[in-house]
Amino acid sequence: MSKIDKYDVIIIGGGHNGLTAAAYLSKAGKKVLVLERRHVLGGAAVTEEVFPGFKFSVCSYVVSLLKANVIRELMLPRFGLEILPLESTFTPLDNDYLFRTSDYDQTYKEIYRHSQKDAENYMRFGPLMGQVGMAVRPILETIAPNAIRPSFKDLMSLKSLFNHVKGLNNETFEYLCKLMTMSSADFLDEWFEFEPLKSTMAASGIIGTFMGPRSPGSAYVMLHHYMGDIDGSFRAWGFQRGGTGELSMTIARSAMHFGTKILTEAAVNKVIVKNGSAIGVALENGDEYKSDIVISGLDPKLTFLKMLDESDLPEDFVNDIKKFRIRGSSGKVNLALDGLPNFTSLPGNGPHLRGAISISPSYDHLEKAYDDAKYGNFSKEPYMDIILPSVIDPEMAPPGKHVMSCFVQYAPYNINGGWDDTKREAFGDAVVNTLARFAPNIKDLILHRQVLTPMDLEKTFGLTEGNIFHGELTLQQLFSFRPAVKWADYTTPIKNYFQCGSGTHPGGGVTGSPGEMAAKKILKIW
Amino acid sequence: MLQSKNSMNFTANTQMKTSPFFERTSKLNTSQEWKRWGGYLSATKYDLNHDNEYFAIRTKAGLLDISPLYKYRIAGKDSSLFLNRLVTRDIKICKIGQVMYSTWCDENGKVIDDGTIQRLGENDFRLTSAEPNLSWLELNSYGMDVNIYDESNKIAALALQGPKSRDIINSISSKSINSLKFFEIMNTKLNDINVSISRTGYTGDLGYEIWIKPDDSIKVWDMLIKFGKNYGITPVGLNALDISRIEASLILLDVDYISSRTALIEDRKSSPFELGLGWTVKLNDESFVGSEALRLEKKNPSEWRFVGIEILWDNLEKLFKNVGLPPDLPYGAWRDSVPLYYRKNQVGYASSGCWSPILKKYIALAHVNSKYAGLDTVLDFEIKVEHFRHLTPAKIVKTPFYNPNRKMSCPK
Amino acid sequence: MVNKKYDYIVIGGGLNSLIAAALLAKKKKSVMLFESNDSLGGMASTSEFSPGFRCNLVYDYIKWLDERVLKELNIQKDDIELIINDIYRVSLDLDGNHIFFHRNNKKTIESISKISKSDADKWNDFTLFISKISSFLKPLYKITPPNIQKMGLRDAISMKNLLNPILSHGTRGIADILRTLPMMMPELLDEWFESKLLRGTLAASGIHHLNQGPYSAATVLNFLHHNIYSGLNILDAKFIRGGTNSLSSVFSKKAKDYGVIIKNNSEVIKINCNNGNCDGVTLADGQIFFSKNIISGLDQENTCIKLLGNENLYPNVRTQLNNIKYRGSTARLHFALKSLPKIKGINDDQMQTVFSISPSINYLEKAYDEVKYGNFSSSPYIEFCISSIIDPSLAKDNNHVLSASIQYIPYALKNNKWSDKLKNDIINNVTSILDKYITNFSDDIIDSSISTPYDFESTLNNTEGSFNHGEMTLDQFLFMRPTISSSQYRTHIKNLFICSPSTHPGGGLHGANAINMINEITK
Repeated sequence: MSKIDKYDVIIIGGGHNGLTAAAYLSKAGKKVLVLERRHVLGGAAVTEEVFPGFKFSVCSYVVSLLKANVIRELMLPRFGLEILPLESTFTPLDNDYLFRTSDYDQTYKEIYRHSQKDAENYMRFGPLMGQVGMAVRPILETIAPNAIRPSFKDLMSLKSLFNHVKGLNNETFEYLCKLMTMSSADFLDEWFEFEPLKSTMAASGIIGTFMGPRSPGSAYVMLHHYMGDIDGSFRAWGFQRGGTGELSMTIARSAMHFGTKILTEAAVNKVIVKNGSAIGVALENGDEYKSDIVISGLDPKLTFLKMLDESDLPEDFVNDIKKFRIRGSSGKVNLALDGLPNFTSLPGNGPHLRGAISISPSYDHLEKAYDDAKYGNFSKEPYMDIILPSVIDPEMAPPGKHVMSCFVQYAPYNINGGWDDTKREAFGDAVVNTLARFAPNIKDLILHRQVLTPMDLEKTFGLTEGNIFHGELTLQQLFSFRPAVKWADYTTPIKNYFQCGSGTHPGGGVTGSPGEMAAKKILKIW
Repeated sequence: MLQSKNSMNFTANTQMKTSPFFERTSKLNTSQEWKRWGGYLSATKYDLNHDNEYFAIRTKAGLLDISPLYKYRIAGKDSSLFLNRLVTRDIKICKIGQVMYSTWCDENGKVIDDGTIQRLGENDFRLTSAEPNLSWLELNSYGMDVNIYDESNKIAALALQGPKSRDIINSISSKSINSLKFFEIMNTKLNDINVSISRTGYTGDLGYEIWIKPDDSIKVWDMLIKFGKNYGITPVGLNALDISRIEASLILLDVDYISSRTALIEDRKSSPFELGLGWTVKLNDESFVGSEALRLEKKNPSEWRFVGIEILWDNLEKLFKNVGLPPDLPYGAWRDSVPLYYRKNQVGYASSGCWSPILKKYIALAHVNSKYAGLDTVLDFEIKVEHFRHLTPAKIVKTPFYNPNRKMSCPK
Repeated sequence: MVNKKYDYIVIGGGLNSLIAAALLAKKKKSVMLFESNDSLGGMASTSEFSPGFRCNLVYDYIKWLDERVLKELNIQKDDIELIINDIYRVSLDLDGNHIFFHRNNKKTIESISKISKSDADKWNDFTLFISKISSFLKPLYKITPPNIQKMGLRDAISMKNLLNPILSHGTRGIADILRTLPMMMPELLDEWFESKLLRGTLAASGIHHLNQGPYSAATVLNFLHHNIYSGLNILDAKFIRGGTNSLSSVFSKKAKDYGVIIKNNSEVIKINCNNGNCDGVTLADGQIFFSKNIISGLDQENTCIKLLGNENLYPNVRTQLNNIKYRGSTARLHFALKSLPKIKGINDDQMQTVFSISPSINYLEKAYDEVKYGNFSSSPYIEFCISSIIDPSLAKDNNHVLSASIQYIPYALKNNKWSDKLKNDIINNVTSILDKYITNFSDDIIDSSISTPYDFESTLNNTEGSFNHGEMTLDQFLFMRPTISSSQYRTHIKNLFICSPSTHPGGGLHGANAINMINEITK
């Protein structure tokens, strides 16, 4: 039996970008239906009670890049947006530590302890990166022009970008060029000498990307992470109260407030294409929904290669999408703890547990982790970005207990011999052992352990190869090339079929940006 | 002081640097008001208001903890060559035992910082500055035989400023400091404790700065307080200092100008000429960092001038009278940017100002477009009277506003 | 006595310097050139490494020569005779399943098909694809890179003209280029080939003279740099009759003919400056020479930091110069051999070619991994040829010289200093690797010699032993080469110019740097 229901817009996938697009379109008066395969909304930005009493932001775990105008325009605070600051970064070392906070003097003093010059340069570095971030912002907020056959409008936007770049001061322009082309290690070497400081900063240049800190291109990813935009200050990271899923829910509530209809456990099987134009979707259970426009919030591979038949698409385009690099490189380990970890280098409870904890003691640590992955193994001593959400938000765990979220790199999707339960547990052990090097009591604290390999991320969240960014943030996959040349402006070769996932410009992270820009683009041409 | 590696608890001490005098100053600070200065907690004022502290500086002796200053020791064969290339003044003419005030610039002749340079020996200097400068110093020292050492934590310092400061020091010093001239430095003993004393300061008054090993710091503090008691020695905080330095027309980094290293945009940068520090720029045959740009700028007068203005009393009084109030004067020194107009066009801004308690004048330091910066030019100063904005005349006057003879004279 | 004031003084007697001097002299300028060694040629020179045996110091072959140089200096085919072999490269396989790269692509395909049918099928398309992309780079290699921030409309239009050749390849051309340049070699090769040996051999060109592994982004840029004039003969290598050293003799003769005064054994120790202008040089022996302009064929470190001296450097310029990445990565190893080596599966008449030992991408990457942690590669990428076949003067009688480029050998080691023992270890290591490919190799060795990047720094005066005078990476390419504020062959000193490989378009024996610079400064 097939249902006939007609909508203006159907959005495939209830991830945060899909929901953002839905909210914008509903706000503009369109009749919107969001179809989510799982029982929860949020895609990779979900909160689940994995173990009784312990809630986890299962996949995405911090909010850094959510755009302020999205928050304002969708009235998110009214629907429950409460972002608590994660204001410090703690890097445990074997006999020492590095603890940076949002306080200028405190951080100066701490870095000075390790290197006098670094302390001084660090204070110049932040504002300069802010300048570069400001310089990049207009690029991120421009709908990527068609590089092959630019329209007049594309030319105008290219011209204004060019003028923008020309208007930058020399220093900013120099650093912009360098950040676009260098490795984060090389870039940071120009500024600093204390390795744990450099490696911790460089680590943000490898997140979600299958490269090491010495690989060119990683500096851009670092910049991408530097542009966190909470409360208008750069790289202020935050944690949504109730977990990242709660953030998706606020967007969902906003969308529903504007009239969006949301269906969960409604897995779309195919987009229905008639005469080269999308007219609706068919669910796996056989239901069909009709609409004027279909938008996919999935990654490019699923959006095109799964939702459509290759024969519907131009051959060039199919090749481009097939070549689109989307290698998963990271895993996630969620721990339910009986208490707080005790770091050898800085024992006890303190502000260092309220922020991010970065296991990145040296470049070599990161590079060795990468080397393992390069040759098809998970890292024996991985890089980890850890937060303890229950320290910031006690409701995440039962009283006195804690949850710990470890973002782990590297775990290749294509591991030698394929992922299985033994390897998953071995991977989990590697994570715990690495952690125990710095906080030996961790092993006694673990009540439950959830290990997510890239394979699990793919299965659970529909992230192809488990890539958290819907496609790596390498230079050749940015701007007009994201996800494919000619189709980087959220349109697709299929009429009335659009894309709004992280696989489009400006890329991954909990930004809401692709969703917002896709919706605005659609409204413009509608 | 370094954070101990295994501190169990985070305290104020682990989070902020504290001066070697903190043990004393923290107990004396009845107002419990602190400001941050170079990562240190510095007393804003010790009493509940700063009036007594200000008048101590001008009539007795004020004791100020200046340990947060950044101090760099520069030694080695090329040290005078290095400094000569770094700063705008000619360091070669600086004699041993002399101190020089100077600015240093980037290659475009824009000021990075200002401070004093003490010549302690033929090839031994100490440079003090408001902001950290180590990486800039090292960047400029490539290929030279100099050794740059950050001794900020290794030297504690006190400023003793005011007409009685000389007498207090003489009462405990092994050598008389009567012959110590303005901007000179000497070694002496204060009751067996080795210190260096320079006749420098940030108040525009007779005053000295005492450079001490951290271990001796508390002893020196106690000694000064004890022997200074009869002269009226008074610990003073930053509020009193701020008024004094405006009266003396001394500029303050990040208030009156922004370092070109951190300015981010060109318009925020200033040359020494634009800061009224043209006199520190010695353009001779030898080049220093920024000399070419400054040589050019000297030929074509700078766009901006840094001047002192006096807000004319009668007009000010009238504005307030109109609403039925006596003039509402700033309490202490302010550090906002206040617009200055010439016939309705904004031609500049005041960057810090205060009511001078000793001159009984409302004075301010201001950046003014050089076309309108002539002496006695009358500009309009923006002021709020009962929530509404008004303009009131302010005249460009000679600086320093307050310049007592005793500042530079020596007893006969 | 006051010396005469020359129009130009050229520092260094390398290829670019000689070409620049000759071109200026041709324009009737008075030019004086100083070379610190007793022979000219720099990286194109030869030296005796063992009694009776000479070797090409750095380059055994060239990839291309800028045709504008040949035309401007009126150099005939006979002056520089290129040896065009049918087989220009052989990628060696332990089991003898070598890949032969022939000038006739059909034969190459035949050779590849013995290893992989599918790769053979794609070879033709791959060569077309690469030559299409390099045809875009070619015009870029002939210009002075723009100063993007000061770029006016006119520059923008002239830049647009550069796009024309690529637009003629259809609208996808530009997209292909922008997409391909920042790639890493395995990424590009994943799209084409499956055979480990072929992939390794191609990837080796992407890391050639680079201190990065094939898995580093933008190694494709380096690959294109090496293949820009290869046309359909990817990985092309051309020998010069008489050896690469004959290049320097041809150009120095031209320079002398046009009136350049060349002084060997004259080390410049100082560029003399006055108020932001330079006016001459001081030699090691104390002599002072005056000139209106100075051209340096040395790298930035040597020119601007060592010769100009601190007093003529701005701190911010200095910071930029300090941040140039040199990172020499390649050692040269020369073997004096009793006779012509024999390689399984290679005939004696096929020996006049370049051999590559690059069995797979992972082999190369693992070689790089060791460097990453501060060691030298224990299983390095080796490229060698029997240089004495091309230039019989290198060895007497029936003796031969085998010269190999070994990668990666870093400039500095992490926990060790370069010593004769370490160098011997490398020689023994390479010998044992070559033994697997060359029959009775070790028995044939009379003598051997190695130059690490550390050695090159002192002999060739190139910082950190970098043959490119600065790595060919994306952040040191085009308008960012050598630094973003000096990419127009100029320096912060008004009349001091640089024509070394540190400038656009980078290293190699091609002379493009020199002619680009001449076009820039005489326009």
